[in-house]
Amino acid sequence: MILHPAILALVAGSAVTGFMIIVASWFGLQIIRKWDLSSGSEQQLGLEKKTYLISTVMAYAFGFQIISLFLFIHTADSLCSMFTGAMCAAGTLAVNSYGYPVFILKIANFLFAGLWLTLNFTDNRAEDYPLIRKKYFLLLLIMPFVLAETVLQAVYFFSLHADVITSCCGSLFSSEGKGTVQTFLSLPVGPVRALFFALAACVTASGIYLYGTGKGAYLFSALSLLSFFVSALALMLFISLYIYEIPTHHCPFCILKREYHYIGYLMYAALLCGAVAGIGTGMLQPFRTIGSLACVVPSIQKRLALAAVILYLIFTLFSAYKMVFTTFVLE
Amino acid sequence: MAWTDKQRNVIDFTLSSLLRRKGKNAALVLVYTAVGFVLASVMLFTHALKREAGIVLRDAPEIVLQRMVAGRHDLMPSSYAGVVEKITGVSSVKPRLWGYYYDQLFRANYTLLVPDEFRYGEGDIIIGAGVARAGVTSEDNIMPFFGSDGKLVSFRVKEILPAESELVSSDMVMMGEADFRAFFNLPKDRVTDLAVSVANPLEVLTIATKIRQQLPDTRPVIREEIVRTYDAIFDWRSGIMLVILSGALLAFVIFAWDKASGLSAEEKREIGILKATGWETSDVLLMKFWEGMVISFTSFTAGLILAYVHVFFGSASLFEPVMKGWAVLYPEFRIVPFIDFYQIATLFFLTVVPYTTATVIPSWRAATVDPDAVMRT
Amino acid sequence: MITLDNVRKVFNQGRPNEQVAVRDASLAVEDGKVTVLKGPSGSGKTTLLSVIGCMARPTAGRIWLGDREITSLPERFLTGIRRQTFGFIFQQFNLIRGISAIENVMLPAYPNGEKYGLLRERAGGLLELFNLSAKSAAKVQFLSGGEAQRVAIARALINNPPVIVADEPTAHLDTKLSQEFMEIMDRLHREGRTIIIASHDPVVYASPLVDRTVEMRDGEIIS
Ligand SMILES: Nc1ncnc2c1ncn2[C@@H]1O[C@H](COP(=O)(O)OP(=O)(O)OP(=O)(O)O)[C@@H](O)[C@H]1O
Ligand SMILES: [Mg+2]
Repeated sequence: MILHPAILALVAGSAVTGFMIIVASWFGLQIIRKWDLSSGSEQQLGLEKKTYLISTVMAYAFGFQIISLFLFIHTADSLCSMFTGAMCAAGTLAVNSYGYPVFILKIANFLFAGLWLTLNFTDNRAEDYPLIRKKYFLLLLIMPFVLAETVLQAVYFFSLHADVITSCCGSLFSSEGKGTVQTFLSLPVGPVRALFFALAACVTASGIYLYGTGKGAYLFSALSLLSFFVSALALMLFISLYIYEIPTHHCPFCILKREYHYIGYLMYAALLCGAVAGIGTGMLQPFRTIGSLACVVPSIQKRLALAAVILYLIFTLFSAYKMVFTTFVLE
Repeated sequence: MAWTDKQRNVIDFTLSSLLRRKGKNAALVLVYTAVGFVLASVMLFTHALKREAGIVLRDAPEIVLQRMVAGRHDLMPSSYAGVVEKITGVSSVKPRLWGYYYDQLFRANYTLLVPDEFRYGEGDIIIGAGVARAGVTSEDNIMPFFGSDGKLVSFRVKEILPAESELVSSDMVMMGEADFRAFFNLPKDRVTDLAVSVANPLEVLTIATKIRQQLPDTRPVIREEIVRTYDAIFDWRSGIMLVILSGALLAFVIFAWDKASGLSAEEKREIGILKATGWETSDVLLMKFWEGMVISFTSFTAGLILAYVHVFFGSASLFEPVMKGWAVLYPEFRIVPFIDFYQIATLFFLTVVPYTTATVIPSWRAATVDPDAVMRT
Repeated sequence: MITLDNVRKVFNQGRPNEQVAVRDASLAVEDGKVTVLKGPSGSGKTTLLSVIGCMARPTAGRIWLGDREITSLPERFLTGIRRQTFGFIFQQFNLIRGISAIENVMLPAYPNGEKYGLLRERAGGLLELFNLSAKSAAKVQFLSGGEAQRVAIARALINNPPVIVADEPTAHLDTKLSQEFMEIMDRLHREGRTIIIASHDPVVYASPLVDRTVEMRDGEIIS
């Protein structure tokens, strides 16, 4: 293990988050088993108080999660000098087989926590808390992922030993060679670029439609999810090239660096939050039929749709800006 | 907008509550600030040292080739340069001349070296800022040195190096080749070592192996290895410091928990009144959230600023002996100020996250008192 | 109209120290009337008042506010209703020490999310109504008993609630101040507000103002 301050911070921070999730899940389990809103018993009043603790804990966990995602990438980046061949975060994450799974889990957990908070927010608008069991059940489903992240991240850092030959981002994210990442990176740029912009247009159009008429939430949600993956792919495949102005550099991490004016933070934050808002609209759709939520859900969906459209547009417009105002020519 | 007005009103009340309990909160802020200060000092200092080392090594050649005699670093025949140059992949080989000199008069160590291009003539030198301070000299002064034969040699100071990175250039004395050879009485066909540049970073290892095969009495030192070693040493040191400090951190967390859960009767009464007059549990939690934010922000910022001053303007005087361990003596040692998001985020995780977590449950307990409780006191 | 149907409030349920504070109480409080809850100490007046005032949820039974049933509303919603419907006056005035009178008056309205300036204006108006303008910036711990009482009343009125709930409001006041309190209640009553007071002070329950007296004993309503 490398004793690095940020590693200690990440391991400690994620242990704390894991602990909070366990506490929240434990209370959640009690609520699933014993919740009875019609009762005025002291037990029921106690359970109601616990819902406040769970909401608070989840909101903090969500906040910590996004900072920890960026800190994790940054730490990997600053450790790269210890591994032969690693030139940025991409190389450090490839040092052992835990790096990328932890990275993916961090993103997934951010999305989960965001969706859970959306569900919680919606449920709290209705006087009879109609989603109470569903939302705590969802919490129980999320818990293993958060714990997996805590454990895998610790394992990842504990099994890091300086001076392991790894591949740097140049070779990992270059279009030669084999592997999943490479398969995607060998995709033709033209069609993906067309798809990226077409999807952006579709997301915007269906988002505005949802905002205006309250219809098409499933479609918008699906498009948002698809757009999330396509945007990530587009970022690696060609947007990064315009930002770095190097024809072979596909690394998704280097844009977080000072050299590129930390622009990655804005782009990733927009994409991640946009995904939460966009997917959230579809998640809420089935609950429109519940009486007490009938007028709550549509208004929340509209706001989410608006937020998602704006956030995705920030990402798309910024990418387009980079592609138009660059001296760099692809191919 | 109702939401912002609500936040504003709640923040307003939170601030006035905090100010009403200055004593209790001052103790907390003080301890919090101290913890933040120590952690931030460790981090800023090691990070700065790492960065300095990075600057030293940034322009260093990919490989430095030393000659070993009886297991010790020895002078190298100039002819070796020709052998290395012929290896494919080597883009250039530069013989280097450098050495150490102990100044008895001022009791300081200097690094004497011959730069690639020396702009001045015979008898002229360029010195680092640290040397200038130690030798109490300035431009156009004469500086006395004792040569290897014990005789006094005087050099004229032509220039003092700017302090972009004092750690690197502070102890340097640069002179022409002829002066250097005469001063140390060095044979014409010997140099200190060879700087080997390699164009493709992926070939460095292969080339190093080839050099060792052809010149078995040499030792190639690879730049990446030095960087890695330095990084590892600095990270390890600060990591160890943090592990030692984790005791303090734990104590702080317990202190925070205790402060948050040991509400005074007055505070409990206040929360009870708020709840009885129409505040909801989430409103009280919101107030507690802002309270934590204000305390964290104040202490975190204060700790960070104090640490910044301590490290970059006070030369990290509190724990320089533990942390530096750099075999040099610098009369005055200043690091170039540097701070970034990364260090702030790390510190945030080491202080604000534990503090917030420690206060979540006590705050929730306080916020969920029954609204009718005040009617029975 | 506030309607209670067989309301029961039990403390420490299922434990040896179980205490039934209110026992199957049924009651209808009419709008615009002055109702007094009367009874010996420990008879459950405060508990019944807190159930009527949406501060506590009953263990069993049902409650309607107008024609809306609020029996099992979670705290999140109950508090909103309470803030808009009820103004509370307590035995100890329960003002927050260390802040000014006007801030105390404004406190219950903070969660509404109103503009600070407008809110302050409204609070100032209320203080003026009770001849307290001069004391507006004074810290509440320096106010006299009568002034503190009036600040507490002003606070109860900040959200302009249709119902005023008071628990033993005169217990800490001398006769003169108690009478003054009842005069203020009279004024509020004439403004059309419903007033519910729990008290065993004759100045209160024997006042000509009172429309109805509810007697309690051992948690039961006996008349
Ligand atoms: N939180 C509580 N936990 C346990 N018992 C309680 C609680 N609150 C009230 N009680 C009990 O319920 C009973 C009724 O109390 P309540 O305060 O309603 O009486 P009261 O009529 O207001 O009396 P007083 O005139 O003295 O104010 C009392 O016996 C009291 O001890
Ligand atoms: Mg009472």
